[in-house]
Amino acid sequence: MLELRSVTAGYDRRAPVVREASLTLAPGQALGLLGPSGCGKSTLARVAALLHRPDAGTLLLDGTPVRRWRHRAPREQRTAFGVVFQQPRLAADPRLRLADLIAEPLRATGRRDQIPGRVTELAEATGLTPDLLTRRPHEVSDGQLQRACLARALVLRPRILVCDEMTAMLDASTTAALVAAVERYRRETGAALLAVGHDRTLLDRWCDRTLHWHEVARSRADAPT
Amino acid sequence: MTRPGPLLTVRGLSVRFLMPGGRRIAAVTDARFEVAPGECLALIGESGCGKSVLASALLGLLPANTETAGSARLGDLDLLTAGERTLARTVRGRRIGLIPQSPAAHLTPLRTVRSQLEETLAELTGVRGRAALREAAERAAQRAAFPPDHLDRHPHQLSGGLAQRAATALALAGDPPLLLADEPTTGLDRPLVERTVDELRRHIEADRDRALLMITHDLAAAERIADRVAVMYAGRIVELADAAAFFGTPGPRHPYSRGLLDALPDRAFTPIPGLPPELGDLPAGCAFAPRCPRADTSCTELPPLAGSVACHHPVRPPVPAATPENARA
Amino acid sequence: MADTTAGAVWRPHGTARRSTHTLRLRVSAALMGVTVLAVLLVPPLAQLDQQAVDLAAKLQPPTWAHPFGTDDVGRDLLLRCVYGLRVSLLVGVVAALTATVIGTAVGATAGALGGRTDRAVMRLVDAVASVPHLLLGVFIVAMFRPGVWPVVISVALTHWLSTARIVRAEILSLRSRPCIDAAVSGGASRWRVAVRHLLPGVLPQAGLAAVLMVPHAMWHESALSFLGLGLPTHTASLGTLIQTARGSLLAGDWWPTLFPGLFLVVPTLAVAGLAGVWRERINPRRRSELML
Repeated sequence: MLELRSVTAGYDRRAPVVREASLTLAPGQALGLLGPSGCGKSTLARVAALLHRPDAGTLLLDGTPVRRWRHRAPREQRTAFGVVFQQPRLAADPRLRLADLIAEPLRATGRRDQIPGRVTELAEATGLTPDLLTRRPHEVSDGQLQRACLARALVLRPRILVCDEMTAMLDASTTAALVAAVERYRRETGAALLAVGHDRTLLDRWCDRTLHWHEVARSRADAPT
Repeated sequence: MTRPGPLLTVRGLSVRFLMPGGRRIAAVTDARFEVAPGECLALIGESGCGKSVLASALLGLLPANTETAGSARLGDLDLLTAGERTLARTVRGRRIGLIPQSPAAHLTPLRTVRSQLEETLAELTGVRGRAALREAAERAAQRAAFPPDHLDRHPHQLSGGLAQRAATALALAGDPPLLLADEPTTGLDRPLVERTVDELRRHIEADRDRALLMITHDLAAAERIADRVAVMYAGRIVELADAAAFFGTPGPRHPYSRGLLDALPDRAFTPIPGLPPELGDLPAGCAFAPRCPRADTSCTELPPLAGSVACHHPVRPPVPAATPENARA
Repeated sequence: MADTTAGAVWRPHGTARRSTHTLRLRVSAALMGVTVLAVLLVPPLAQLDQQAVDLAAKLQPPTWAHPFGTDDVGRDLLLRCVYGLRVSLLVGVVAALTATVIGTAVGATAGALGGRTDRAVMRLVDAVASVPHLLLGVFIVAMFRPGVWPVVISVALTHWLSTARIVRAEILSLRSRPCIDAAVSGGASRWRVAVRHLLPGVLPQAGLAAVLMVPHAMWHESALSFLGLGLPTHTASLGTLIQTARGSLLAGDWWPTLFPGLFLVVPTLAVAGLAGVWRERINPRRRSELML
């Protein structure tokens, strides 16, 4: 369903962060990608979600190569992905109430009539109580905000979920709750999952298959840790 | 043989914030625990439960709109009533060493690690003179396993693990008996978490008069190095237990602690239903009751911390002679 | 909420640091209020003609009849100053707004589009900034006949630079945040991202820049008028008032230059004080007073 072939990407053409990364995500599969911090896995996750243009390599979505990225990619392709990032504080617009945050993709794609129903549905699915929905990000905790970000990622019913260190900053109970919400969604819709992280125990428990970074990409020389 | 008294004794410690509009937020209520020399106490709780506020209270770093109650005795000094001068001159760095949450943010970005370490050493110890300071800095760096050839780097050039070690070196510079580690493992990879906490453990084992109070929500890290565990929920300490009994058998006694352990991916991986309460809107009785499978009408009354658990229906009856004070005898 | 620590003895921690803050706010607000009131109320209420020439009362020092004295043709200086302030404020506000709009548009375009557009625009900004702005202002105004609009244009074209830089920097930092990625992934068009997510983040800074620009614009206009290049002398603006009063100063009559000058300084201080308070409010670090 999603295939990356020899993708090289980064923020400076002379010093790419990811070199020749390849992986395949089958329909409905949960694939974990394990790697130390700084190895480039977040960049690869962004490339996979069509948010970052690679310098080299190809990405095949359902067999067809993707040639355009970010705004240039067709809307149907972009919205086939749901992305959740590591830091909820940076991923949420501080001026929007949580209900508006979750509804934003529906507004952006002209589906306003679905807003009340979907927001309630997803708030329940991610464990957000109605009183939290009227609050702004600085009035809720990190865990609650991340639940809202997950709800936002699911609102357009994406076929592929990309979770970039979704639970790295959260405690054990919230982590388990978010993973349970993702799995419930996947059971209902058959969506595939690419979960990127550095916690082996979590990924092994969560995903069908876990790849280590060195199986996926050529690694750079690391600085001493 | 007489055992030395505890390094830190906290009794009835409470912190509340005064918000505009008269609202009060009870961040910490009635905390009570002790840290003995040579041991590591892990203070566990989810984010927002008040653990960092407790750490700030111990160091006198609370913001202006707070009120405190209770006592926190470090030897003969009550940290809560000591003035800023006493805290700055005798406590911070000299009697309590803080290992902060995000070391890269706590190191001055414009100066090299060496210059910051030398400045701290000059201030906290009596060392003077360039050559003596240089040597002292290198020894301090080695104590924290920080490679001396990286001393001339700036903080942004260090990886996460190295920055953490630099912060540890700074905390150890004044040779404080109590180390306070505030979420030392946030954002680190699992192997690095293990290395970091092992090093922290090494520091208190090297010198049996030192102790470590580690504040974290990472249960795996706590399991790895803690001797005792204090669990915090909604600003209160709800359980105080021996780490081996807590993480192994017979397991934790408070339903919240059991829920926390069950949420780990290498155990049941099931979340605790519901969300923690707002600290500005706590119920009159047990704060965990709405989410507790064992709650009943008696939970409308606040359970006191009795026999190391604050619960009306702890999971197992107390095992005789398993109280913290004599468990280590 | 039950106070279960009823027996506890609460000790306050730290002292309130707000004393100078509220004083500054109050003084600035009071000055601003007086300015606005004077500008709005005096002309309709006074019913005196500021142009009323009374040659018999030439150059009188301040008296009860004429609290600010009279100028060289006997006009009451207090009224002239109030009218002058009105004109100067009007020119200042319009010019500041125009400059901010230009600066925001340029900065936002450079920041949002990036790449070659960004580099080209920034080189243009550097080029304009390298010319001393008063000189550039004089150059622009000299191309037109004296009037209000040339002065406004001159101020606007010399003062948009700092706003452009501020807006561009803000947009660049916002663009790299995950919330923009999330919006793109959620199907937002480029336009929606710019208008709904980037611009609102920029507007507080741009607004602040606009407010701070008003005194600059007033001073620039006064400088141009003082040089005789700004507003025509029959229009009473603070600058023209000072300009026409230059001769009297040498003769020892201090009031025709002092009072217009005061009227220029007071709103400047008031705006600076209020803007400082506003800047503290929009600074995000202030919001996290409660750190758990």
